[in-house]
Formats: sequence, C-alpha cells, structure tokens
Amino acid sequence: MGLAARLVLLPGLLLGLSAGQGLGFGRRPPPQSGPEGWALGGGRRLLSLELLEEAEDLSLALLGTGLPGELPPECRELLVGFANSSVRLTGCLVRSARPVRLCQSCYRHFQSVTEQLENITRAVGNSSESNCAKSLLMSDRVQLVVILSQFFNSTWEKANCANCLKNNSEGLSNSTIEFLHLFNTTLTCFEQNFQGQAINLVPSNHTEVCRNCSQTYRNLNALYNEMQKMTGQGSDSEHRMHLCIDVEDAMNITRRLWSRTFNCSVPCSDTVPVIAVSSFILFLPVIFYLSSFLHSKQKKRILILPKRIQSNASLVNIQEKYS
Amino acid sequence: MANVAKKVSWSGRDRDEEDEPPAAGEATPLLNGAGPGTITHSPFLRLGQLSSVDLDDDVRELSLDYDNCENQLFLEEERRINHTAFRTVEIKRWVICAMIGILTGLVACFIDIVVEKLAGLKFRVVKDNIDKFTEKGGLSFSLLLWAILNSSVVMVGSVIVAFIEPVAAGSGIPQIKCYLNGVKVPHVVRLKTLLIKVCGVILSVVGGLAVGKEGPMIHSGAVIAAGISQGRSTSLKRDFKIFEYFRRDTEKRDFVSAGAAAGVSAAFGAPVGGVLFSLEEGASFWNQFLTWRIFFASMISTFTLNSILSFYHGNPWDLSSPGLINFGRFDSEKLGYTFQEIPIFIVMGVVGGILGAIFNALNYWLTMFRIRYIHRPCLQVIEAMLVAAVTAAVGFVMIYCSSDCQPLQGDSVAYPLQLFCADGEYNSMATAFFNTPEKSVVSLFHNPPGSYNPMTLGMFTLMYFFLACWTYGLTVSAGVFIPSLLIGAAWGRLFGISLAYLTSGAIWADPGKYALMGAAAQLGGIVRMTLSLTVIMMEATGNVTYGFPIMLALMTAKIVGDYFVEGLYDMHIQLQSVPFLHWEAPVTSHSLTAREVMSAPVTCLRRIEKVGTVVDILSDTSSNHNGFPVVESSPDPTQVAGLRGLILRSQLIVLLKHKVFVERANLTLVQRRLKLKDFRDAYPRFPPIQSIHVSQDERECMMDLTEFMNPSPYTVPQEASLPRVFKLFRALGLRHLVVVDNHNEVVGLVTRKDLARYRLGKEGLEELSLAQT
Repeated sequence: MGLAARLVLLPGLLLGLSAGQGLGFGRRPPPQSGPEGWALGGGRRLLSLELLEEAEDLSLALLGTGLPGELPPECRELLVGFANSSVRLTGCLVRSARPVRLCQSCYRHFQSVTEQLENITRAVGNSSESNCAKSLLMSDRVQLVVILSQFFNSTWEKANCANCLKNNSEGLSNSTIEFLHLFNTTLTCFEQNFQGQAINLVPSNHTEVCRNCSQTYRNLNALYNEMQKMTGQGSDSEHRMHLCIDVEDAMNITRRLWSRTFNCSVPCSDTVPVIAVSSFILFLPVIFYLSSFLHSKQKKRILILPKRIQSNASLVNIQEKYS
Repeated sequence: MANVAKKVSWSGRDRDEEDEPPAAGEATPLLNGAGPGTITHSPFLRLGQLSSVDLDDDVRELSLDYDNCENQLFLEEERRINHTAFRTVEIKRWVICAMIGILTGLVACFIDIVVEKLAGLKFRVVKDNIDKFTEKGGLSFSLLLWAILNSSVVMVGSVIVAFIEPVAAGSGIPQIKCYLNGVKVPHVVRLKTLLIKVCGVILSVVGGLAVGKEGPMIHSGAVIAAGISQGRSTSLKRDFKIFEYFRRDTEKRDFVSAGAAAGVSAAFGAPVGGVLFSLEEGASFWNQFLTWRIFFASMISTFTLNSILSFYHGNPWDLSSPGLINFGRFDSEKLGYTFQEIPIFIVMGVVGGILGAIFNALNYWLTMFRIRYIHRPCLQVIEAMLVAAVTAAVGFVMIYCSSDCQPLQGDSVAYPLQLFCADGEYNSMATAFFNTPEKSVVSLFHNPPGSYNPMTLGMFTLMYFFLACWTYGLTVSAGVFIPSLLIGAAWGRLFGISLAYLTSGAIWADPGKYALMGAAAQLGGIVRMTLSLTVIMMEATGNVTYGFPIMLALMTAKIVGDYFVEGLYDMHIQLQSVPFLHWEAPVTSHSLTAREVMSAPVTCLRRIEKVGTVVDILSDTSSNHNGFPVVESSPDPTQVAGLRGLILRSQLIVLLKHKVFVERANLTLVQRRLKLKDFRDAYPRFPPIQSIHVSQDERECMMDLTEFMNPSPYTVPQEASLPRVFKLFRALGLRHLVVVDNHNEVVGLVTRKDLARYRLGKEGLEELSLAQT
C-alpha cells in the first residue's frame, strides 16, 4: 500500500515523534528500537480512522511544502502563539517582582503559556502536528522552547503559586483572597495612623499605630499561621510546603513594618526570674557533688596482685637494661 | 615514676602504702631502678602442690575461649558430620548474617522513628509554652517546664540502666571492643541489655542530653548478632533448637563482629566503615570469608534501614536515608577543596587533637570522681537528672541571652523559636540548642553562610563542650559520636567564618566545609580511631574526594591527641581495669621472659583425678581458676609430672553435673556417652560449682579427664620473651598459655591479665595494677 510505503519512508520522523511523546507525557511506553518495533507500534496507532486521515495530511503537507527542513505553517503558528504568551508572562513576572504579586497577577498568563505548550506537545496524537512537536521541541541543541517552558515552570514552582490558586488554577483560592483583603486592611490602617507621625521621623514612638492596628495585625498573623498549618499538613516536617510567595512576602513586609519600623512587638522580658531559676538549677549539681563527696563512702578498689616468681636476677636484668 | 600505678589503683593507694608494703613495691614501675627488694622463693619449692593461689581471672572479667578445644569429643563429632553438613553450616552462617543485618536495621529504624516522634512532641510542647509566655511574661515557667520534662525523661532512662542493667550504660563501644579483644564482660550480649539499651538511648536523646544514638547502635547490633547466632535466648528461656553448631565462643565472636559492623553501618549509613570498624577493633581474628560475610551483614543492615525509613518518610524506594545520621550532600561546586587548603585542614586537625585531649582529660577526672563517690544507683540516677536539667537550663539561658536573629526561610529550621526576635525571624542559637543533636549537626554543615554569627557559635561550642564532657560517663545509654561531631562542627564553622572574614569572603571559604572538617578532627581527637572513622565520615558525607582532607584531619588529631592522653574508649577500658590487649606488646619489653610474666605456682590436675579434689579446687573461693593444666597421673602427689593437656572450669562443671566418673561408667551401661552437645547446651552460662551436689561417696570416685581435655594446649618455654607470648595471645585469641620447662613440666601459666599489665609509659615500660571493680 502506498500509505505504508510512505510511512516506511519516514522512519526517523515517526521515531522522533514517538520519542517526543514518551518524553512529554509518558502515556505510552517508548517504542522498541529498530524498524520492526516502531512499525508495530505505528500499525497499532493507525487503527483509528482519524489517525489514518491525519497521516495523509502529514504526508501531503510534507510533500506540499517543498523542502522537508522548512517549518510547516501550522508549526509556525504554534510557535508564534507560544512566543506571544511567553512575552506576556515574562512582562507580568518582572513587573510584579517587587512587591511580589506574581501569583495573583500572572496566573492567567501562566495558564496560557501552559496551554500553548500543551498544544505543541499534545499534538503527538495527530501526525501532522507531531512534526511540530519534534521540530519545535527537539530538533536542535539549544531547544529554546523547552528551556523557556522549564524556566517558567520552575519559577512557578519556586514561588509555590499552586498553593494560592484553586485546584484547577482558575483563580485565587478563598483563603488567599481573604488574606490579601486583610493585608490591604492592615496596610490601610498603618497608613492612616502613620500619617500623623510622618512629620516627626523619630522611629521609636509609634504607639498610635501599635494601639490602633494591633487587632488587624493580630488577625492577619493568625490567618497566616493558620494557612501555614494547613499547607504544612499532609507533607512531613522535613519538606514542609511554603505558602505562595505573594502571601509570604506580604506577611514579611507587614511584620517588618510592625516590629522593625514601628517597633510594636515589645515582648516582656523577665530577666530576673529566669536568672533566678537557672542559677538555682545550676547550683543543684554543685550541691549534689559536694554532698556526695562529703557523705558518700569512698569505694575502695581491691587490687589483683600478680602471683609470680620474683627472682632478683630478672629484676637486675631489667634495671641494667633501663638505667 | 609511680604515676601509672597511681592512675589505675588510685583508690587502693592507701592500702598499697600502708597495709601491704610489698604490694607497693610491686606496683612501682619496673624500670626506674628502685629495687623493690621482693623476697624471692625458690620457684620450684611451691610448684606442684595443689595449693590455692590467685592466678587466673577474677570473677568479673573472664576471658573468652577463642581457642578451639580439640579434644576427643570434638574429633568424634567432626568424623560424624559429613561434607554436606559442613556446607549447610556455611549456608547457615550466611543466613544468620542476613538476619543480623535485617534486625539491626529494624532496631535502628525503631530508635529513629520513636526518637523523632517523642522529641518532636517535646519540642512542640516547649515551643508552644515559650511562645505563649513570650507575650505575657513568665518565661521562667517555660524554663522550668523544659528542665522538668528533660530530667523526668532522663530519670526513666537512667533508672532502667542503673537498676536493671548497668552494663547498658554509655555507648557500649568499649565493651564491644573488649568482647572482640577476648574479654568477657558479663551481661554484655544479653537480650535484656539490648532492650535496656534501646529504651535508654531513646529516653536519653529525647531527654535532651548532649548525646547521640549512634554509638549504642554498635552495641545493639552486637547483641542481636550474639542472640541470633545462638538460636536461643537464656533470658526468655527459649531454645529454638537451631544453630546449635555455633554455640561456642569462637563462632559467637565472628557473629558479634558482624553485628558490630551492621550497627555501625546502620548508624552512619557506612557499610564499609562498619566492616573496617570491626577490623580495627577485632583485628587479630580475621579472615577473608569472615570479612565478606560481615560486609554482607553491613550492607543488608543499611539497606533495611534505608528502605523502611523511605517508606516511613512517604517516598518509598527513594532510599535517601542510609543511616541514623545523614550528613547531607556535599557536592556543590564551592564545597570542593583546593590544594592550598590542605595546610588549613591540618591546622584544624591540631586544634581537634588538643580539644579532644582536653575533653578526655576532663572526662578522666570526672569518671574517677564518679567511680569513687557516685557508685550507688540512686546517686547515679540523680546525677543524670541534674545533668539533664542543667543542659536544659544552659540551653535556655543561651537562647535567652542571644540576640542573633535570622529570617525564617521556610523549612530550614525544624522548631523555630522566635523569643525576642522580630516577627518572621527566629533565634539562631535555638537551632543549635533547641533541637536534637543530629539535626543541629546537619544544620551546622548545611545552613547557608551567615546563618550563625560567630558569637553564637563560640558560646555554643564552649557550653556544649563542657556539657558533652560532663554527660559522657553518666549512667544512661548514650553515645559520644554525635556530641563530638557537634562540637567540632561548631568550632569548624566558626573557623570557616573567620577564614572567610580574613580572606574577605573568598569563594572557597565555605563554612559548611570547615564545619565538616572540624567535626572530623574533633571526633578523631576524642575517640582516636583512624581507618574506620575516616571511611565512616567519608561514607556519611557521600563524597569520596573528601577522604583525603578528612584523613589528614583525623591523623593529625590523633597524633596530637596521643601526645597528651589516650583515647576516650581506651581510657574507659583502662579505668574499668579490663585486661585489654593492644595490638602489640610494648616495644621495649623483649627482655622480659615468660618466666617473669607468668603466674605461679599452678594448680594442676592429674589425668585421672579424684572427684573430691576436683570439687575442692573448683569451690575454693580464694582462687577462681579457669583453666587447669592436666598432668600425667603419678603415685607421688608432690612430684611434678609432664603436661598432658588443659581442661577448663566449664568443662569440669559439665563433667561433674553429668557425673562422668570412672566407677559409674563401669557400673551403668545405660548411661549414654557425653557428647559435645552437652557442653554446648550449657554454654554460655555454666552453673556455679555450688549448685552441683556431689555426695560423700562420689567424692571418692575418680574422673578420667583424657577424653575431655584439650590434648595439645599451646605452651612456651620459660625463656620466651614477652612480645612472643603476647603475639600468641593476640593472634590466636588464647586464654591460657602454659609455661613449661625442658622436661615438659608445668612451671607457670600466662593469662591475659599477666600480659595486660605491661604498657609503655612516659618513662619506658611500666607495670599497672589491675583492680577489681
């Protein structure tokens, strides 16, 4: 059959496709090496009608575009799509780098990048686009698309954004929204109370802020701790999950303001009782050792004396040798 | 001059000087020229009389019979067992080794998990309490809570050790060293000891003492090995009727060395280090097959631990925790070392050696004080509790006074204590004190530069040094490895930080690397192990390139430390008056001959001996002989006859118990012949002579010892030098060595105690006095 012949003509392409599929999704085992292996696997795949048609498309497209090395237009489209979405994501990431608003503002962009990438890789099923996966993702040494997508993914993971989003990543989770709301309230409170004192820049005396905003700050802190506990469950203590960076950073800013700038957290230090108790404990062993030294009966050791023939000759011998 | 005599017999000194002038003379070193003027007898006058003199081992520390007794029963058995049976025996050995590995791994897992759970619970309670009181005031209550929690946990741990099984105290490494050396420390390989050891370790680590759980793993492994290889437990009174072939000292010792190796390997994730540890400590009895088996046991042990812990941590088959302590990975680029750094490592070795020597010297004085005054169990328990309370108090005060705050970085700190730090920061001193020592070590190795400020590290090193020194030797089961590593890591990190400061932040001056080297140097300076320790450290870091600097640091530490005092384990062995034989005889001892070393006169038995005589000799409490040369029966009892063999107390007791008398053998044909199995069944706890009833009639019977004695005991002529005798003892694992004259007549008997007395002191050869404890 002509189709089969064409397929045999493109062993390398199909092999590459299968390998790409294996790498990208791992849904099917990678094919056995050698033409028999891939031919068998290919045959199984070609059972459905759609696949057959797509195979036709692929071959037509290949024949139609002239030079086989050139990028087919569908692939170019995909590439452009990926480029646009990654530009948007990059811009968003950098803009929201400080103060950190990564997850809240960029999750849509991130989602679109993921989708674009999926379009490229998912296409493995239909053979026309499978070409794209191969030529876009793995036909050169640098593999720029892969690098970029890896970078995005690792940034996203490092920022732990998944923790702030709903399960299907279609929006911020309820607790995050609540937290951000409370955070904004706290900041507003700080601002309002700080306004009056902004003129005299003495950093020590911010009692008003401390008094008025204490409740909101406490609530924020409590909520944060609660969220931390929630994420901390499930996984063991050594690899505790972070909250997403937005929340962490917001909390850090607030805490720094609260305890450094406003100097509001003044823990009661009770040095005297601590010193008293610790010196009491430290003195106990002294008393113990002294009393056991004075009262305990010293244990005598009984020496085991060697029973042996002592001859003067041998002793003289030793003395001569060593004196 | 008399310093060594004083050292060992410190409490008997008065006695030496006042009551027994000749003893004082004997206790002085041999070589200082002061003639002791001992009265000498003509040696042959007293020989041959069946008089009782203290010549063999005392009751407490017996030796082990590592020499096979090739008597007729043994030969018979060997003839009976065919070739395939010996092959089964070989297979059984492998099976036992696998079981040792698995069980040791399981015990290690158990300890690790329980410690983690309990310590986590304790730290959470205290942390919540501290957090609560930081706001409201009243931190002294937190301090009290911490101290009371610690000391009550330690109290339980100490009570079980002090009242139930005192031999489980400490790390157990000295005891295992002695066992492999051939000294039988009572109770050391019993099931009860294992239980107490495991519980004791858990409690003392949870109790917050400056101790580790790694050293005791070695002891635990050894007990497991001894238990499995015997196929029964005398404590439980269960005999599984398996592995009966291995019921003797020689076989048991091989398995114990495998168990010790498995213990090391489970403790540090260092299978090769474990094998080398056994090699280093029990080096005299060794062959390749044994090494290979031991390696097998070690590998199995670390693999078991690894797979179980990986399941426990929720990532099965990840296999990332091969040991109880993981040093973490040292493989980033800045952690490499350059050629220029090697002198720095050597300097660190010197520091480690000096600090180790100070540690040992302090601990020496403390141990002497303890032996002298704190010998009652209840006092020991109180002492342990006080140490626990003080440890908590010191930790709390250090944390309280520290103003070193570091920003929280997610998971780097297990129990972050805020205390007076700003919100979102934690107290950096608390990562060192408010944590289990293992975790502290790892955070010292791996926390990024700047996590600790130098002041914190300095104070921590100082305090922890004294705490650890004070803690070692308490009546709790606990090891010294981790505290040493922790001290070393702390000053090593300090060293690294100052180095970075001096070189204005050169990239190679990573404090974590220096923390590792400091840990190695400190550990080497305290325990003075060489080969095995290097490999253990290397395997625990998982980085072979670090082998060289670690070796340099350890070597320097050992050389420097040995210049001042000996290693901690050797010191404790010596303080316990264990007749421990070192690798070689003192170098200048060639002029000493067997004649001067041996004990004489010897209690000999005749080949056909009257039962009454045997019973009398055995039940004589003033002498506790264990081996009796058997001489040719001659009608004249005063005449010394030629040596025919050697028989052990245990064998005689079995003979008496089964009433193997010449007369009875003739009378009753029903009585079956005694087999080697009967001796094995009685092993290792032979009944005391008092429990054996011998009637008046039976006393008149005769015993024929020919079949049962070892017909070819090792003998030396009187002129053999001390090193020659020593070599025989060390290499063959002998217990008794008969000294004979030209006519093959028994002149004296050399035992382990006679040899262990001599050692090379500051002024040459010295003789120590061993004390009963």
